[in-house]
Amino acid sequence: MSAFLIRRLLRFAVVCIGVSLVTFSILHASGDPVALIMPEAPEADRARLRDALGLADPLPTQFVRFVANAARGDFGQSFFHREPAFRLVVERMPTTLALTCLAVALALAIAVPVGIYSAVFRNTIGDHAATVVVFLGQSMPVFWIGIMLMLLFAVQWRLLPVSGWDRWSSMVLPAITLGAFTTPLFMRIIRSSMLEVINLDYVRTARAKGLTEWLVIWRHALRNAALPIVTVTGLQFGLLLGGAVLTESVFAVPGVGRLIVNAIRQLDFPIVQAGVFLIAIIIVTINFLVDVLYVYLNPTVRLR
Amino acid sequence: MKRWLPGLTALIIVAFLAPVGAGAQGKDTITVALPSHAPTLDPHMHFERVGILVNINMFDSLLHRSAKLEFEPSLATSWRALNDTTWEFKLRKGVKFHDGSTMTAEDVKYSFDRVLEPGQEKKKSPQYGNVRAIKEVKIVNADTIHLITDKPFPLLLERLVFFPIVPKKYIEKVGEEAFGSTAAVGTGPWKLVEWKRDQHIRLEAFDQHWRGKPAFKYLVFRAIPEVATSVAELKTGGVDIIRNVNADLLPDLKSHPQTRISTTPILRVHYISLDMRSAPFDKKAARQAANYAIDKQAMLQKMMAGLGKQVATVVQPAAFGFDASVPVYPYDPKKAKELLAQAGYPNGVDITMYSSLVDWRPHFEALAQMLTEAGIRTTVKMWDPGPAWNKFFQTEGKATQAQYGSWGNYSVFDADAVLHPLYHTEPGGWIGKHYARVEGLDRLIDEGRSTLDQSKRKRVYAEIQRMIREEAPSIFLYTQNDTLGISKKVAYEARPDEWLWLFAAKPVN
Repeated sequence: MSAFLIRRLLRFAVVCIGVSLVTFSILHASGDPVALIMPEAPEADRARLRDALGLADPLPTQFVRFVANAARGDFGQSFFHREPAFRLVVERMPTTLALTCLAVALALAIAVPVGIYSAVFRNTIGDHAATVVVFLGQSMPVFWIGIMLMLLFAVQWRLLPVSGWDRWSSMVLPAITLGAFTTPLFMRIIRSSMLEVINLDYVRTARAKGLTEWLVIWRHALRNAALPIVTVTGLQFGLLLGGAVLTESVFAVPGVGRLIVNAIRQLDFPIVQAGVFLIAIIIVTINFLVDVLYVYLNPTVRLR
Repeated sequence: MKRWLPGLTALIIVAFLAPVGAGAQGKDTITVALPSHAPTLDPHMHFERVGILVNINMFDSLLHRSAKLEFEPSLATSWRALNDTTWEFKLRKGVKFHDGSTMTAEDVKYSFDRVLEPGQEKKKSPQYGNVRAIKEVKIVNADTIHLITDKPFPLLLERLVFFPIVPKKYIEKVGEEAFGSTAAVGTGPWKLVEWKRDQHIRLEAFDQHWRGKPAFKYLVFRAIPEVATSVAELKTGGVDIIRNVNADLLPDLKSHPQTRISTTPILRVHYISLDMRSAPFDKKAARQAANYAIDKQAMLQKMMAGLGKQVATVVQPAAFGFDASVPVYPYDPKKAKELLAQAGYPNGVDITMYSSLVDWRPHFEALAQMLTEAGIRTTVKMWDPGPAWNKFFQTEGKATQAQYGSWGNYSVFDADAVLHPLYHTEPGGWIGKHYARVEGLDRLIDEGRSTLDQSKRKRVYAEIQRMIREEAPSIFLYTQNDTLGISKKVAYEARPDEWLWLFAAKPVN
């Protein structure tokens, strides 16, 4: 088991360095942040600022300095906020994580029953209707869904707050919006993976033993159909974490996505690097947890 | 199924929905929606309009401007020019800062010195360029200071309308970083309660403000990046004021029972700068052709709901030095084609035009369409403000032949504040440095800003406007309005200087 852990950790380190390298190179290739901070200043002042920020050193030197600092959690001062970049990102991470978790939970809460239903009663009208409705969620753009939900539930019916993040109920609309996109994917996977499993020998044996259909599905079929679902959930979590920015903008949620996108616009290097780095770590950790969960769900999967 | 599950579910649902009152704002709070917050509350260390809007409600400057655009005493009770380069200001007595201390002449000098940083080569403040002409701030006595400029500086009073005074001893005690984030202290009508980044800035009325107490006890600035969201908040009472309402949203807000519109002309002028260094706009005929090609009235009526005014040049009607006798370029597509042929392009010409006004994309594309119809086939490039300016400056403007932009003069009602950045070619210039090459214009601009004699300046600016109307270094378009969406529960009107002076806001009963 420890050899497995060590290999996973090495992979983790390599991914992080790779991500940093790519982010670092792209950012430096797209423009000069000093021109943004002091657009009216003469070149001499700008050169001085460049020196102070360490932007005048050769690129390899800057990168090595960056990695050494990153290991200590030091990504430098944000150019625009004048506060440590890492702190700014970490402050907002719980918000985005909460939103993403809630969105995934909602998506699963809808997709699992609907997927099972579609598999058990496949090709009935119920199955087709469920498929159509759930796919509507995927075909509509995220921000459009968000605004429509807002207009209906917040403006027209005044059931929920329009935007912001100061009450428990502020989480509902953003989570539904973000989850609406993922639900069809989960449902499809659950349906097809249930279909694969539902007519296999061991399930038929369980039925023959006299177990109720419900127990058959829950205890035997779903357990084995769960593997692809867990994988996809892990992957989707990572995507949602980075892609929540549209939902965050529409609902004025103070999350990490908005912070990073604004930082990209303003060429605020430290924040972009800190943010991408932190998200990469979270995604790799989640994938690691998914691997561990595999073993629990299906002991025949050997951990190499 | 566990027996308590349905009960728990019901409880959770009720807990979610129960505490929601629409908006839940007391009548003692006024809330403003801004697209974002400035990176700091320190009034000298940023250059963002959203920052200025917050600062003016927390800090005072030496001068104030009334809604009718007249100078009013603020922290200075009177002022006069002793000579061409020295101005004397008498300071108001007994003004309190939010921490209880009294404002002194030392605080005034300190405020100026922290931006001017005499003796320091590298200046920290991005506002340094605005007040660079001030050479020295001298304390004459406890109530009097002198501002000494290196050359006659006709814009001095304008610049002092937004130059907040900050407390010297307090900043020295808490440090600059704390001052800009959690501990901002000024003399303005509201004081800081809390700032949650990316969420809201909460201010509370300052009891000892020298003007008296504002009508609202709390002032909250919320950061709401998306327009549709801020409109929805306005309708449900979550916010009371939203800015920059687009023409297409006007009918909705006008007819909604809780909202109304307040609009007024402002300085912000739209223009398309032309690169005079290379073809095709190195030829005057081509530049004039471009001016005849745009149907400015159609743009105003169809795309701005009529909220704007066509201008003959970039100098705005409200700015000092505006000459109303200079004629506008009418819409004349036939003449445009003729002039284009005269310039040597009988079969038209291809150009690239760029802009960073992402909110005005439809207008940008409409303008490009009009140019194309007249024979100037335009490829448009819309860039985000950050990378756009980088590309522009790094290629010295050669990447494109034209730039569509807007200029707000930093609310300075003077022709120099738009002419210099757009047309002067000195290294400290803005766009002019790259694009404009009008013979003799630099000299005239310098003349206009080196004397305090207002009638002489008026003559110079009249000459400049006639010159640029003829030479057409830009396509001249129009000024716009500032349009606010306001809740019917609040009495407040838009100001011609794009400020949100919320001391003047009152609840409607």
